Parts: sequence; structure tokens; C-alpha cells
Amino acid sequence: MTQPADRRPDRTSNTRRTAYTLPVCLLAVAAVAGAAVTALAPVDARGWAGAAAAGGWVLLVVAVCVGIAKANGLRARAAEAEDELHRIRAQLDSRTAEDMGLAQVTVPAVARLAREGVAPDEVLRQTRPPALPSQRELLRVCVTALADSEHRAAAAAAAGRSAADDVTRMSDDVRRLATETLPAVVDKLRGGASVDRVLAGMRWPQDPVLRDLTEAAVRELALSERRAAAAQAASAKALSRVQAKSVSMLADLRDMQDRHGEEVFGDLLAIDHSTSQLGLMTDRLALLMGGRSSRAWNKPIVMESILRGAVGRIAAYQRVRLHCSTRVAVVGFAAEGVMHLLAELTDNAANFSPPTDEVHVYVEESRTGVVITIEDSGLRMSEAALRRAEESVSGQMTDLALLQGTRLGLAVVGRLAVKYGMNVSFRPSARGGTGVVVLLPPQLIAQQVQAERAPATTPAPAAGAPALSGADAVPAPRPAGDTRTAPAAHTAHTEDTGTPRHAAPTEGTGPRHAAPDEHSPARERTADGPDEHGQVAGHARHGGTQSTPGTPGAQSTPGTPNTPGTPGAPNTPGTPSTQNPADGGTDGRGATFGGLPVRRPGRTMAAAHAELQQRQAAHACGRENAPRTPGTPGPAAGGPEATDGTGGPDGTAPGGQRPQRDIGASFGAFHRARRAADESEPSPRAE
Amino acid sequence: MRRPVDVGDPDRLYTVTGGRSRSDGSSFDLVTLIVAECEPAVGQQSEHARILELCRHPTAVVEIAAELSLPITVVRILLEDLQATGRITPRHPRVAASATLPDSALLTEVLHGLRNL
Repeated sequence: MTQPADRRPDRTSNTRRTAYTLPVCLLAVAAVAGAAVTALAPVDARGWAGAAAAGGWVLLVVAVCVGIAKANGLRARAAEAEDELHRIRAQLDSRTAEDMGLAQVTVPAVARLAREGVAPDEVLRQTRPPALPSQRELLRVCVTALADSEHRAAAAAAAGRSAADDVTRMSDDVRRLATETLPAVVDKLRGGASVDRVLAGMRWPQDPVLRDLTEAAVRELALSERRAAAAQAASAKALSRVQAKSVSMLADLRDMQDRHGEEVFGDLLAIDHSTSQLGLMTDRLALLMGGRSSRAWNKPIVMESILRGAVGRIAAYQRVRLHCSTRVAVVGFAAEGVMHLLAELTDNAANFSPPTDEVHVYVEESRTGVVITIEDSGLRMSEAALRRAEESVSGQMTDLALLQGTRLGLAVVGRLAVKYGMNVSFRPSARGGTGVVVLLPPQLIAQQVQAERAPATTPAPAAGAPALSGADAVPAPRPAGDTRTAPAAHTAHTEDTGTPRHAAPTEGTGPRHAAPDEHSPARERTADGPDEHGQVAGHARHGGTQSTPGTPGAQSTPGTPNTPGTPGAPNTPGTPSTQNPADGGTDGRGATFGGLPVRRPGRTMAAAHAELQQRQAAHACGRENAPRTPGTPGPAAGGPEATDGTGGPDGTAPGGQRPQRDIGASFGAFHRARRAADESEPSPRAE
Repeated sequence: MRRPVDVGDPDRLYTVTGGRSRSDGSSFDLVTLIVAECEPAVGQQSEHARILELCRHPTAVVEIAAELSLPITVVRILLEDLQATGRITPRHPRVAASATLPDSALLTEVLHGLRNL
């Protein structure tokens, strides 16, 4: 770059040399020419010719000198201009280099520094400042702008990060709300917690908007839950009234059926049937609404009665054929549930089979419980329908919202099945229709305690045992319930008669003593408790089917007490004072001085007669074998129990409200008593 | 309002009679004696079985009704069922000579006397 500067002097000297050479040569030529012209010119003319030539030459020299001076001036200026040009070029080069350095080194360094967050002034101080002020200014501006933009970028990035964080947090909130909080809240609300309590205990989302939204949603949810619960409770309550009404109607109808004759019997039965159907419908609704069944049994119910009770509640009960040869009984607490379940299934079967076809119900005992099969010959259910039915009876669809229209029966079946652990399954029937198999687990089957009965009821041997076993032979419709009451009755009476003097009073106090015992100890007992004490409906049925109508107190040993002397004769303790702990007092009242039996109001003469005879026999026997067993309460207890028994039902009658319902009852009691009296000692019920 | 427990039996009478409400022949008087002709069989309706057991000795219709705690009408229907299959035989009461019966006035007096005891 510096070379042109070196060459410059040579060139100028060359040009100057040539520049001078040419005029000199010209001047020389011109001088020669002038001389020649002068020489050649005639002599006379030589003067002026020489003068002219000299003048011309001088002019030429002047012109050449002027020209040379001019040229030199021009040349100097040109050299000057060239120098200027060179200088400027060099300056340009250096500036370009500096620019390049600025662009390639400084600015990136500055940018790096700025990016590192160094303040602009600090950056300028750390950087080598460029040479030119303009560049310095440029750099400053640049650094400032860079720092500014860098700042903005950082702010924007922070904002973006916080926004992303917000979004993440909110999405977390929403997810937690959806997966944890709201389900928990719904559970709590369904559990009956108040909305404020739930709101206080719940985990709030952080976002205020979300919080408001959640609160609004929870409050709305609570409101609708409360509304639903209130609606359910109200309908359950209302239904329970309907249920109570229909139950009392059924009881009244049963009463009327006993009281009225054949002319209205059919109508009563029709009303009875309608009321029973009504009961099924209300029960169904009540169960779905969270209410209870209208009835509750607290004694085991034999399977035949279960089936009849179930079938009696459906419209087409006459088309249902029951095949039940088993004598198992269903425990009381589950009896109503089983009945309702069977009613629903039978109703279903009857509704979905042709009105002319029969529905068959089979009962069989198996190792795993009792299997009840309901078979119809209607349409075979499709696979999907079977599956749907299985689903609805599985008890998983407990939500009312899942119910389909009016098809409530199977939902109820599902609930009952789950409640009592029954298993309900559907299958195609061999008859062409659908078969429903219900398995009652063993815990729903009342235990058969028949075997326990004899030892329990015969604390003393001898004639007591055969007599009781004879009584046993009488078919008891509810063996389990019947027998279960037996020990209870006896224990109750042993307690009573354990203190001889205390238990001595009349029959009147007998039941009063027995009553608390009856109610408390055994649960099955309580079934009879209310029965004795003024239960209207089914009173005679219950007591009667036990074996002795009109002697509900005799649940334990129905026939024996009425048989004079059977239990009492051999065993009753000897001395009159101890012998009749319970009878002693009644002996005085049991007969007049003339020896006739005393009949208390409301009791049959026959009962009084039997009692008297029994007492006399006991007396006689007691006197015969005096030292025998003063303390043996068993047979002695049989006596008062008998008196309680015969006295019991009728004892309630004077208390009141219930008229003698059936002439049959009194006749039966009379007949029994007479027969017992006739046959006297040996097993009277074994006829 | 609502009773705590039910003490009756769950089966309604129309299920016992299969829906019948009327006995056809009404050949059974209240005091007709019924005698069973066979033992109760397994699988029989429980009322039938009980009637057969009761009637091993001659038993009056009214007493059967009392034992079963069923209305007379129902018992008649059940008895007709049994009679139709030949399981029981009814023995209708002989009409006693009126001379042998005491006067009804006398009976009433005896009854009053007994009540006044």
C-alpha cells in the first residue's frame, strides 16, 4: 500500500525531464531554423530577417517558458491532488480496517458483555474504544440499544416463564380439582356434611378465579345433593305412611276374613290381593328411596310361607306353581327381604311369559344354602338382556340416576341381594323361557334346633319326657321358631318358680312375671311377646299354628300343660307347701268349695276345668311322693306355664279391645281340654 | 303408627286357597267329623299335611279351623281338595233325637249359673 508512494518521485522526475526536454529541443530547433533562415536570407534582408527570427525565437522562448511554468504549476497541483488521493485512500483503508475490527471483534464482544448483563457504561469501559469518535458514538449507541434490547428480551423471557408457570399451576390445580378435591367433596356431601364444613375442609386451588368457580360449583352441588336427599327422605317418609296404612289394612282384612262369612270372603280376598300388590309397589319405591320394608319378621319363616308371601304380592299369583318340599326356614331379619326379592323376580317372570303359561318355583336345599329357581316359559332373554339383568341385580347400580324408567324391580332385587348376601343369576330355562336362580346363603337359613328340644325341656325324667316328645310329634309349622322358644320359656319359668313362696301367687301374676323375661332374653321370644299383649293382627294365627290356638303362652310345650298330671304327676315336689309354688295360690281359686272350676273372665270353661284337674292331679301326686324333688322347676313350671298359656290370650281379651274372634278357637281349646282330660295321663298329644 | 315387628304369617289366605274363595259343594258342616285316610306326604301343602295329621282321629271341621287358625271357608276349600283326592272322609253328624236334648232354657240357666260361680 505504501508502494505507490515510493514510485511517485521517479515518475514526476521522468515527466519533468521529458517536459523540459521537449521545449529545449523545440527552442534549439527554432534557433537553428532562425539561424538558417537568417543565413539563407538575402543579405539585405538578412537584417530584418534575423531580427524577425530572433524576435520570433524570443517570443517562442517566452511562450515555452510560460508553458513550462504553467505545466509545472499544473503538475504540482496534480501531484498534490494525487497525494491527497493517496492519503485519503490510506485513510479509507485504515477506517475500513477499523470498521472491520469494530464489526468483527468489538461489537461481538460488546454484545456478549451486554448479553451477560453488564451495564452499558461498564461495557464501554471494558472495551477498547475505537479510534474515531463517530465509531465511539456508534459503539455507544449500539451498546445502549443492545443493552436495552437485551433487557427487554430478559423481561419478555421472564414474563413468558411466569406465564408458563401460571399455566402449569393452573392446569395442576384443575387436575387436582377434578381428580381429588371434587370427588372428595362429593363424597362428603353425599355423606351428609354441610356445605360450609366441606368448604372449610377442602383443599382450595390457588387461582382465585378457579377458587370462585370451585366454590360456586360446590355450593351448587351441595344444593342439588340436599335437594335430592330431601326429596328422597320426603318420599321415603310419605311412603312409610302408605306402608303402615297398607299393613294395617292387611291386618284388618285378615281380621275381617276371620269374622265374616263366605258371602263376602271372595271380595275380601280380592281386596286383600290388591292391597298386597300395593304393598309390593310401595315397598319397592321405599327401598329405592332408602326407606325400609313395610314389614319385619322377627321369627323364622318357613320356606313355604316365604314363597306364598312372595307370590301373594304379585298380580298373577295363580299362574305361579310352587314346588317346595323343604321345611327350612328363613331367619326373621331376612325373611322380608327374601320375600320381596322373590316377589319381584316372580313378578318379572309372570309378566314376561304368556298369560296362559305357568311360572314354576322350585326350592332345593344344597350344601351352599337354599337354591330357589324361578322358571318361566316366556320369551328367552337375549344375551344383552341377560347381561343387563345380571348387571342390575348385581347391586352395583345403586344410583337412582341409573334407573331406567319404570323398571325398578331388578334394581330393588340387586339391593336386596347385596344386603343379604344372596346370589341371583339368570340363565336360559329348560322350559324355553328364562330361569332365575337365587341362592340363599346358609346364614339366612334358620337353624334346625329340633334335636335340642327334648333335653332342654325335660329337666326331670320319667313321664315328662314322653309327654313332651309326644308333643313334639305334633307337627309344628315353624320348627325352628317353635323350638327355639322352648328353652327360653323354661328358663323364664324356672327363674320364676325358683323361689317357691314368691312364685306362689295366682295365675294372674304368672304372666306378669313371665312377661319381662319373655321380652328380654331370647329374641325369638319377643315375637310372642307382643303377640300375647294385645297384638291384633295375626294373633290367633300365630298362636294357633304353634299348635294350641288361644294358648300363646304355650309356645314351648303346647299340649303338655293342658294334660293334667302329665308333667306334674310324677315329678312335682311333695309337700303341698313347696309342691305348688306356682299352683298353691291358684288352687284356692282354681276351684270353688264345691269343687267346680273357677273361670276367669274371658277364659273358656274348658281351660279352667283342665287347669283345675291338673292342679288336683298335681296335688295328689305331690302328696304321694312327698320328698321327691322340691326344687325341680321344670315340670312345676309346666303347670304355671300352662295356666299362663291358657290365661294369656284371654287375659288380654278383658284388657280389652279384641273380641273373641273365632268360635273355632274356643271350641278347639275346649275340645283339647276335654280330650286331654279323657285321656288323662299318657301322652295326650300323641293321638 | 308403624309396628316394630310383624307377628302374623306372611302368607295371605288367597295363596292358601289358590285364589278360590268359595267352597263348591259345602258338604262340610261346622261339626262334620273328618277322618284322614292316609298319612301326610312330602311336598304337600302344609295345611293339607296338618289336616291329615289332625284328622288321624275324627276331628270336627271347626276344630280344624281352630287348629289351623284359618277361617272356616278356607278350611272347607282345603277339605274339598283333600276329599277330591280321597285323602279324607267326612262323617256327618247324626241328628239326635230331640227328646234327648235338654231344654235350651235349662241350658241357658246352667250357663248363667256357671258364670255366676
